[in-house]
Amino acid sequence: MTSRQFLIRDLLVLFGLTGWAVALPGFASEFAVSMALTCLMYIALSSSWAMFCGTTRYLSLATSAFFGIGAYTSAIGLESLPWEQVIVLGALVAAAVAVVMGAAVLHLRGTYFAVLTFGMTELIRHAISYFEKSVTGTVGRVLMVVPERETIYLTVLLLAVIAVALSIVIRRTRFGLALQGIGADEQRAQTLGVNTRIVKTAGFALTAAIAGAVGAAMSVRWTYIDPHTVFNPFIGFQTVLIALIGGAMTLWGPLIAAIVFSVLAETLRLQVPQLYMMSLGLLLILSVLYLPGGLASLRTDTFKGWKNDIQAWWTDIKDDLSGETKRRKEREKKRREQRHVY
Amino acid sequence: MSFSAWLELIASGLITGGIYALVALGLNLQYGLMRILNIAHGEFLMVGAFLTWMVQTSFGLSPLWMIPVSFALLMGLGIAIHWLCFRRLTATSPNLDVFEARGLMVAFGLMFLVQNVISYVWGGDLRGYDFLTQPVQIPLPGGEAQFAANKLLVFALALVFAGALIVLLRQTLLGKGVRALMQSPIGAQLVGIDTKRLHPLMFGIGLGLSGVAGCLLSMAYTISPSMGEPYTVTALIVITLGGFGSMGGALAGGLLLGVIEAVGMHFTNPSLKALLSYVVFISVLLLRPEGLFTRKSRKA
Repeated sequence: MTSRQFLIRDLLVLFGLTGWAVALPGFASEFAVSMALTCLMYIALSSSWAMFCGTTRYLSLATSAFFGIGAYTSAIGLESLPWEQVIVLGALVAAAVAVVMGAAVLHLRGTYFAVLTFGMTELIRHAISYFEKSVTGTVGRVLMVVPERETIYLTVLLLAVIAVALSIVIRRTRFGLALQGIGADEQRAQTLGVNTRIVKTAGFALTAAIAGAVGAAMSVRWTYIDPHTVFNPFIGFQTVLIALIGGAMTLWGPLIAAIVFSVLAETLRLQVPQLYMMSLGLLLILSVLYLPGGLASLRTDTFKGWKNDIQAWWTDIKDDLSGETKRRKEREKKRREQRHVY
Repeated sequence: MSFSAWLELIASGLITGGIYALVALGLNLQYGLMRILNIAHGEFLMVGAFLTWMVQTSFGLSPLWMIPVSFALLMGLGIAIHWLCFRRLTATSPNLDVFEARGLMVAFGLMFLVQNVISYVWGGDLRGYDFLTQPVQIPLPGGEAQFAANKLLVFALALVFAGALIVLLRQTLLGKGVRALMQSPIGAQLVGIDTKRLHPLMFGIGLGLSGVAGCLLSMAYTISPSMGEPYTVTALIVITLGGFGSMGGALAGGLLLGVIEAVGMHFTNPSLKALLSYVVFISVLLLRPEGLFTRKSRKA
């Protein structure tokens, strides 16, 4: 397939999925719709995360900061502004924070970047809870004016579609190529004339804008928000986990993993919440060790590779147990000694 | 504020700081030596604390006996985890950057796994036991200060462990090998250091130290399955202050952080404590990423 055919295929798949998701509230139960809402939220978050952090390999843990900022913007602005403007405002505020944060931390790579973004998230969370406690005098905020459930669902769906569509389109532009170049070798990209600072800041701000918009849209679902729910670092962690398990470099990986995880979460969390978290941890370890490309990189060759690995491992164990390894070593030793004699 | 009040404030800061330094030792070994940013460090500390609590409440054994036991148990666990996860990771990662990122992810997985196994087994309640809770008078110039005996004990043992580790790294052949490994893994292999044996051993010792820290902490504080994360963050702050891989730096960084927090809390207000430590953390990472006490700048 040529690149153009790929584009058409991706857009068609997205179109089909969107149509199905739009129709969902018409026939599914309330429980299924609320599950789909969580699923859409994580699709938007992890697709937008993978768009910047996956391609450039800058591991950002700040998603929950942008999400929380969006949620707070919406909580403050909801009474005086119409719904669409609240969402846009949430996106803009989050993007502005991302530009400031990016200017400070985007020159650091790897673990330093991950740890710093995490620290900044916690800093913002503690700063806001301190501000609320000492200035506003409350811990949380109650949202009085709440739009229809239908509106929330469609808004989050729109955001998810925007996130996926952006990642389809961006990888075909000069901007997307620059991001990929930074991921492959940042110095080389710089040498080839990419203004890495601007590209990185713009990518980071774009990710943040989507996370902020999602936060603004989702905050009304809870009707009561406080810093510990909306700045919950777990939102950020889970976004990263979903993107990595699905395959941060791929287009559809985050979407597939988000669906798998939402189903897993809703079925397991109600009965045994710890079991859900345990399987999350175990899946993450296994996927990093045995499937570094993510779920979307799963091919028949992967299974063949695993089969060969297991066979090799099994023969090793059999040899060890039957004393074959020891005998082989003895034989080799004897052969070496003979060679020395002559 | 009078002179003696200042002294009391600084002394209480130093005691908390000693505990911070103790918490950071294991993580410092793991990150400084092997570039494994073990974000699950606090969870293993929590495992040590729960083991101590369980033995203390069900058999009535003194928690002091649990120090070597939890060290040995967690060291075994650490060697097993290294064998299961990080051995393959080292073999399959193309370069150090990729290894660091993947190691961080594996550690995240471990964090979820361990924390939830413990809360599944023991439940999420706050727990604790009484051990040496009577106050001790300490004469300071210009007055007396009171501290709980268990905190003083923890402080003293923290200093002993930090000192022992520094001596081990400076004076013994094993320590020499470890320091060589910190400077250059390939160079260390070239001069005949068996990195394949040293790596699991050091990872195990790192976890063992976190077990000891948990055991000591359970004497003075209440424990719960979610106690790990704040300690991980504290440990991260301390090793950034002290410079990655430097044990003396970690000790000094821990004490400094304790004093900063105590003084800062006295002059502002206690709910700013977390905010304060994050501000210190971020400013150190941004302004002096190689640590406050290192003279030569290392490649980050």
